[in-house]
Amino acid sequence: MAGIARLGASPLERHKRVSFYIFLAPWIIGFLFLQVVPIAWGFVISLTNRSAFPVAIKFVGLKNYITLFQDADVLSSFWVSFVYTIFNTLIGVVTGFIFALLLDRELPGRGFFRTILYFPYMIPLVAVGWIFRIFLEKDTGFLNIMLVRLGILGSGVPWMQQSPMASILLLSFWQAGWSMIIFLGALSTVPKELYEVATIDGAGYGRRVRHIMLPLISPFIFFQLVMSFIYAMQAFIQPYIMNPRVIRGNWVMLNPPPNDTFFVMSRAYYIISGQHKFAYGMAMLWVLFAFVLVLTILFVKFGGFWVYTEADEKR
Amino acid sequence: MNVEARDRLSATLRFIALAIFVVAFFLPLVSMVVTSLKRMDELYRVPAHIFPEKPVWENYSLAWTLVNFGKYLLNSILLTILYAVPAIMSSCFAGYAFSRFQVRESKVFFLLVLSTLMIPVMVTIMPLYMVMSRVGFVNQRGLWFIWGISGIPFIIFLFRQFFSTIPASFEESARMDGAGRFRIFFMIMFPLVQTGVIVAGIFAFQWSWSEFLMPVLFLSDEKSTLAIKITMGYADQKENLLYNIGMAGIVYYTLPLVIIFFALQKRFVAGLLAGGLKG
Repeated sequence: MAGIARLGASPLERHKRVSFYIFLAPWIIGFLFLQVVPIAWGFVISLTNRSAFPVAIKFVGLKNYITLFQDADVLSSFWVSFVYTIFNTLIGVVTGFIFALLLDRELPGRGFFRTILYFPYMIPLVAVGWIFRIFLEKDTGFLNIMLVRLGILGSGVPWMQQSPMASILLLSFWQAGWSMIIFLGALSTVPKELYEVATIDGAGYGRRVRHIMLPLISPFIFFQLVMSFIYAMQAFIQPYIMNPRVIRGNWVMLNPPPNDTFFVMSRAYYIISGQHKFAYGMAMLWVLFAFVLVLTILFVKFGGFWVYTEADEKR
Repeated sequence: MNVEARDRLSATLRFIALAIFVVAFFLPLVSMVVTSLKRMDELYRVPAHIFPEKPVWENYSLAWTLVNFGKYLLNSILLTILYAVPAIMSSCFAGYAFSRFQVRESKVFFLLVLSTLMIPVMVTIMPLYMVMSRVGFVNQRGLWFIWGISGIPFIIFLFRQFFSTIPASFEESARMDGAGRFRIFFMIMFPLVQTGVIVAGIFAFQWSWSEFLMPVLFLSDEKSTLAIKITMGYADQKENLLYNIGMAGIVYYTLPLVIIFFALQKRFVAGLLAGGLKG
């Protein structure tokens, strides 16, 4: 190892390197054991015909991957997840940004609003799913009751059955608190003098936002878009809980959601733990992994042209 | 219009907009509480009432007894501690390493930490499950400890920022006095990043409290968590879902997070704003 040779270079350098590895050791162990090994193993599995019972396993090469790209259900899942991801990301970023704009300047009850708007993000996703499932029910849901009472609707609308995707996307609004916090932090880094100078020069609010605020916080917006993309592609439990079909029995994971909202991860989970097609499911996960990786790299490389570059060192 | 009047108008308008958002955000929560206090037949009556005729507090005791809530609550708490403590410490260690001991390869390792953000959770969990069941290491709570020591990328980043704000002279004078690296870390550095510990703790708690995939794959029903029970939903013997009792269960399930969040929110939000972003 080259590091060993350099260890003796200078006592200070040596002490530094030893300390670095000592303090990073737990992370390295976890990384190897929980990331590197399983990922490699998963790839090997995806090249076999493995099912729940490890008998007569043989290598089948890329067969699973070829089948995958001819499987209409799987392809539809990728599309559904992609559409969900785009909308979820936009909703989260735009809502969070609006909240941050509203809260950026002095205002009575600012701390209260910030806390309350962040709060839904703290509620676990499985609970959120159930809360909204009941909130959106046709006759008994709170939303319909309110809308009918207010005379906006004549009778209850079956929201989840009519537009299952939109119903799931409603959660993205509710959980925009995270991106709000990111943007509040971002806005606090913008020097206030810049606004003052611009105001004196006669720039209105809209122009101050567009020409000063947005360029300066663009690295944060970029970061938020990337992270949100990565997370939304992994959404999997929402379609099961907010399944527009009648759920029977007390195990929601046994009822696969309809194709309109059958996300990639939801299907991968179903294929692996419901149908026990381990190898096929792993192949699917690997395609998703590659998809996320390639899109993220492309986005980071070419998608950032609008990001204000002077702030680049900050990232 | 003069500046002062315009500022007041702007504040008023923003206040109203925020108030509308807050009310809208609260509706699902109101719906949750109201539903948890209705009878099942009351839920399905048309035209529906907003509020229950008579609050059925019994739902809350049923939510507790119907699934042996106490047992799963204990399981959840146990796993949370088992995960949170090593997660906080390991992330803190790693953040310290990245902030204080920069050697040539530090950058590569930091990129590795960030790259783990890009790996879909299932890509690692599913094969891990297959490996683990092969070697017979399933249904072990110890796994949560190992998950803990692999840290949380965002928190590692956060701790790195926090440590970077502490002047190096603090450690140097301690080193002059002959203190070893662990002594310096625990006696001087660690107490100075309390806010980071609070943020990390809340994150770790939230993660382990809401995690679904890992307990469902790795733990038997005996060791399972509240997240699993809540996801299952409550049903009667004829397999009809009991929404009212289910909502009561969710109120219980969410309460610990709510309490911790509101107790620590000032420092939590301040910590996020101060450490995480001004990098």
